Amino acid sequence: MSAIYILCLEDEPEVLDNVVRDLGEFEDTFPIEAAGSVQEARKIVADLTVRGDRVGVILCDHIMPGEDGVSFLVELADREETVATRKILLTAQAGLESTIEAINKAHLHYYVAKPWKKAELVQIVKAQMTEYVLGQESDIRPFLGVLDSERLASAIRQKGLLTDE
Amino acid sequence: MIWFICCWSDAVHEQCSIDERMVAAMQALAKRRYFCRRGKVNLKKTVGLVLAVLVFFIPLVVPIPGLQFAARLTMGIFMSAAVLWMLEPIPIYSTSMLVIFLEIMLISGQGLLFNRPMAGVSAVPGTVEGTWVVDAASISDGTVYTLEEGRLGKAVPVEVLEIGTERVTFKAEGLSEATLLASDATDWRVQYKPLPYKNFFNALSNPVVILFLAGFLLAGASVKFDLDKTLTRFFLRPFGTRPAMIVLGLLLATATLSAFMSNTATTAMMVTVIMPIISQLKGDDPLRKAVALAIPVGANIGGIATPIGTPPNAVVLAALQGSGISIPFGTWMVLALPFALFLLFAAWLLLIKLFPAQEANVTLVLKGKVNKSGKAVMLYVLFGVVAVLWMTEQQHGLSSNIVAMLAIVALTVTGVVNKEDIRAVPWDVLWLFSGGIALGEAVSQTGLAAWFVNSINFETVGYMGVVILIGLVGLAMANFLSHTVTATLLAPLAISLQYSGVVNGASAIAVLMVMVAIGSNMGMSLPISTPPNAIAMGTGTFETKDLAKVGVTIGLLGFVIAVVLAKTMWPMVLQSL
Repeated sequence: MSAIYILCLEDEPEVLDNVVRDLGEFEDTFPIEAAGSVQEARKIVADLTVRGDRVGVILCDHIMPGEDGVSFLVELADREETVATRKILLTAQAGLESTIEAINKAHLHYYVAKPWKKAELVQIVKAQMTEYVLGQESDIRPFLGVLDSERLASAIRQKGLLTDE
Repeated sequence: MIWFICCWSDAVHEQCSIDERMVAAMQALAKRRYFCRRGKVNLKKTVGLVLAVLVFFIPLVVPIPGLQFAARLTMGIFMSAAVLWMLEPIPIYSTSMLVIFLEIMLISGQGLLFNRPMAGVSAVPGTVEGTWVVDAASISDGTVYTLEEGRLGKAVPVEVLEIGTERVTFKAEGLSEATLLASDATDWRVQYKPLPYKNFFNALSNPVVILFLAGFLLAGASVKFDLDKTLTRFFLRPFGTRPAMIVLGLLLATATLSAFMSNTATTAMMVTVIMPIISQLKGDDPLRKAVALAIPVGANIGGIATPIGTPPNAVVLAALQGSGISIPFGTWMVLALPFALFLLFAAWLLLIKLFPAQEANVTLVLKGKVNKSGKAVMLYVLFGVVAVLWMTEQQHGLSSNIVAMLAIVALTVTGVVNKEDIRAVPWDVLWLFSGGIALGEAVSQTGLAAWFVNSINFETVGYMGVVILIGLVGLAMANFLSHTVTATLLAPLAISLQYSGVVNGASAIAVLMVMVAIGSNMGMSLPISTPPNAIAMGTGTFETKDLAKVGVTIGLLGFVIAVVLAKTMWPMVLQSL
């Protein structure tokens, strides 16, 4: 079974630490990877792909030294192995232009403005991961109880994802 | 451990900055955990597969007196399938496909082992009328075997009159000069008349499979046109706002729907109904648990109420039909409905006692409109007509399996069901119990069933003992295994008990088989017991111990009620079989 990861990309170590800690409850089902720069994140994605693992959700800062977050998200949206990855921009300062680019070219799924509340972030990641799993996984049983149960239930009803056995 | 990895990454990345090192450490941790997890999965898979292969050979190498070769092969297939179904190294429907394939390859007349004809010799008449002379090799254990097209015709017991050096003279009835006898009576193929391979393929078009196909199409169409939600609103409205009444309403609505739809689809739909109730309650209000548990409990109980309620019912009905006994749709309901209602009522008392509500009133938001499009209305009409025809089988005389075909035709002709809906049928479930049907066929036809019955003395336990035992074993298995698999493994053994001397007559065997169905459906104490349990557990409203408490109590209570009914009411209802 290939693992589905949550990738957090943020240049400030304390902020990165906070994101990872806030998402701790997903750790058991969705291992969390943390990257401090775009280069590092790119390497992590490459490593995961080689192992057959995938990135289900990426939380990405925008303004970082070196390459910026939105252009990395656009890059991920263009690559086959990450096209389905749910892309969340987690930033305090993305200008109108880069936000438009993120929506149009990176097919951004969610925009979270800093500072965030833990409950809110957990809720957003849960919803996005639920969509990823519903789109990508054929067996949803391992994810019951971790993801949005109402959304999963309605998908089970409509698409017959689970049957009496 | 983290410290160790940090030190290790320290050594490797001496030049790295602190946060990079942390990242490397986290990566290493994630990698380790990931590989551990994958290792465990693979080990379980490998153990399952190796064990399945090993148990297949046990009946072939261990000497079992009185069991001929084809029956040993069947026993091997049965044991192997049991291991695969229990440990699930491959999907359970895949095991069913393997069962059908192995039966065709190993015990059908067209497979690898039995497709070559045996050599035969003509019986030569002896000097006295009615006596015959053959090579000594043609007789074994006082029996000669006639051949038809190179395969066993029948085994003929003989009276040996004279044993010469090579030839034997014997007396037997029913032989003629045209009769071919197997020239080697010790040939491993000689005691078994191989079944045509078509018999095993036919499991897929078993009438009960068609019945379920109709049920699946009706249920699929109901979801498409939101009939399930409409009915739920209709059922729940009269139950008002008092918590206890809402729990009762949920139990009854879920059970009613799951009697016609899959338990899983019903649960999934009901979860979307209860989530708004749960979210308006305080986090520590026990009513949350009662509401969330009412759904899987109602769904599991409701599945028993009609033949199409759950797949275990199909397995049991198919096994009975294989023995020439058919329980009409309406009769099944007369057996199962009182059982289900009684148990629902008990479940209700249990839930409101264990989890008393804090609030005096709960608002039930029942939003949504009745779909009044042409096709939706057509579905309502068809569903009603088919349900009535199913329940009045004895009045009009058409089997529910035939009515099912009417439903299939009507649904597609009217366009209520389209190509996509047909593709969306859970074919895996149909394959799953087809495999079970094929397994049952092989167990009874190869003589394995008869051997099983003869090797255990059932006289000491008696009829009710057998009924109780089968029910308990089913209940125990179904908590850990798929309900269909439980029924599939038990049905061939239970149906063979009709030759045991303690289960006499059609109604007695039917009662026993209904017990198999009920036992298989009552396993609901663990999240893994059934998909409804897993889905309800996924809401995070209750804990495993709550489910266990409720599941064990209702399972055992259901078992006790079933035993009482098996002793009193069921035999009367089934008298006419």
